Amino acid sequence: MRRIIARILERPLTSYLLLIIILSIMLAPIIFTVFTSFKTREETFRWPPTYFPETPTLEAYREVLFRSPIARHLLNSLIIAIGTTTIVMIGGIFTAFGLSQYKFKGSKTVLLIFIATRIIPPISLLVPFYIIMSFLNLINTYVCLMIVNTFLWYPFAIWMLKSFFDKFPRELIDSAIVDGCTRTSAFLKVVVPVSAIGIASVAIITFLWTWNEFLYGIIFSNTRAIQPVTVGAHYFVGDELVQWDSIAATAIFTALPGIILFSIAQRAIVKGLTEGAVKG
Amino acid sequence: MIITNSKYGVILSIPGFIIIVALVIFPLATLFIASFLRYTPMHPVTFTGLKNYKYIFGDRLFWLSLQKTVIYAGGATGLTFCGGLIIAVLLSKITRGSGIFRSLTMFSWAVPLVISGFIWRWIFNPNVGVFSDLLMRLRLVSEPLPIFSNPVLAMFACIIADSWVRIPFMCIFALAGIESIPQELYDAARVDGADCIASFRHITLPLIKNMVFIGLLITSMISFRTIDVIFSMTGGGPARSTYVLSLYVIEQLWLRTNYGTGSAAGVIMLFLISSFASFYMYLILKKE
Repeated sequence: MRRIIARILERPLTSYLLLIIILSIMLAPIIFTVFTSFKTREETFRWPPTYFPETPTLEAYREVLFRSPIARHLLNSLIIAIGTTTIVMIGGIFTAFGLSQYKFKGSKTVLLIFIATRIIPPISLLVPFYIIMSFLNLINTYVCLMIVNTFLWYPFAIWMLKSFFDKFPRELIDSAIVDGCTRTSAFLKVVVPVSAIGIASVAIITFLWTWNEFLYGIIFSNTRAIQPVTVGAHYFVGDELVQWDSIAATAIFTALPGIILFSIAQRAIVKGLTEGAVKG
Repeated sequence: MIITNSKYGVILSIPGFIIIVALVIFPLATLFIASFLRYTPMHPVTFTGLKNYKYIFGDRLFWLSLQKTVIYAGGATGLTFCGGLIIAVLLSKITRGSGIFRSLTMFSWAVPLVISGFIWRWIFNPNVGVFSDLLMRLRLVSEPLPIFSNPVLAMFACIIADSWVRIPFMCIFALAGIESIPQELYDAARVDGADCIASFRHITLPLIKNMVFIGLLITSMISFRTIDVIFSMTGGGPARSTYVLSLYVIEQLWLRTNYGTGSAAGVIMLFLISSFASFYMYLILKKE
């Protein structure tokens, strides 16, 4: 019995077959969503449900973009994600570089604090952040959301960046300094361009995580002018009725940046995630 | 003036110091202090000692939410682990077209959890979703499954929506582990007459243990505290069957506007997660 199973498992065909089955289960939700977004609203409420749109229409997309606040939410998400990524990267590359190449007494402790920060559940700091932000009168502002997102992703960014800088050959920096560079200009002119791919992958991951963030978004923003799209997507969910076609179109807009960035930079993202988490 | 290298490191680390102090240490201090205060917008703030903690430990809803969280996190982590590992092993075996297969499996990682919740809410919806329809076509059930009115099935649906996003992440870790195993080990095992089941058990599993374990710890830590999927799928219902700890904390803020008990719940959650997270730190430090 076992020999038969082992022989079946060893055939390459079996692997392909199993993969195709698993993949279709993994991809089916995305495909269903794409199809639903092209249906008419009447069709989304039919039973039994249709799989392919019978009369494909762009009505849901028109509704989402022009007759609902989703466009505004998408813009908010973009502003918050770009702002957070900028803060995290500018604050991150110098510190990660310092911790990696110019170790000082206590630099190890600083790194330890950064890993320790990763285990703080964001929900625990919900109330204190709320108290602090109300005190500073920052509730429901972009700045507030950028700050709390920086708290969420900065430690990850430090560890991922550090693991890239750790591999940077020190001789290159030293020879640049011999050639008359200061340490800072050596960093900006030599290290940053050479590690550009690593830095970009960290920026992409930070951008995506901020874009996908939901909890702090729903707590710290309460008007449509500020709320990110993960919060705003609930617009189409009523008490009685859910507008499935519009939800599907919103889902596609919301997932789009992730899917595009992931298709372009998959290799870099995978590298950043594994190095940051395992080494870090 | 000459700045030594180690001083230069300190200067470079200033942004990090600022962020640690302003965004980690200060809020943490606020959290601990507020958890000992009677702190609501309606009353003057006064010191109450352990009253907030007593309130929470005596609250039936807290214990209920803790129980739901353990089920949710355990289920999501288990499903993610199995799914991720199986896909990783299969991906490591194929050669032709492996690039395209890899990209396709990773796709759901890019989908925001909230959106995953919406997508699966539609799929599982008994009135319009395809899941019930598929089961009926296969003659497994005779009428649509009322998933979101059944406590057990609702929890199960949330677990699936959660794992769907996390499986690729787990898969990345398992795959990185598998690829670091030298092929010679498998060749040697084959010469010794081991079949693929034996080499999986005695070579692959022991060697990817560490890598997978880190992925597992991260997944469990994160799913222990997630709320996105539950928010867009069930909102904690039906009858609080998916009422997780994070929802409990949010209710302290939203329904009761009690910062004191909210902070105390936050402190308790912090300690719960730290207990297995310290294990994660230990593993990383051992590597360093």
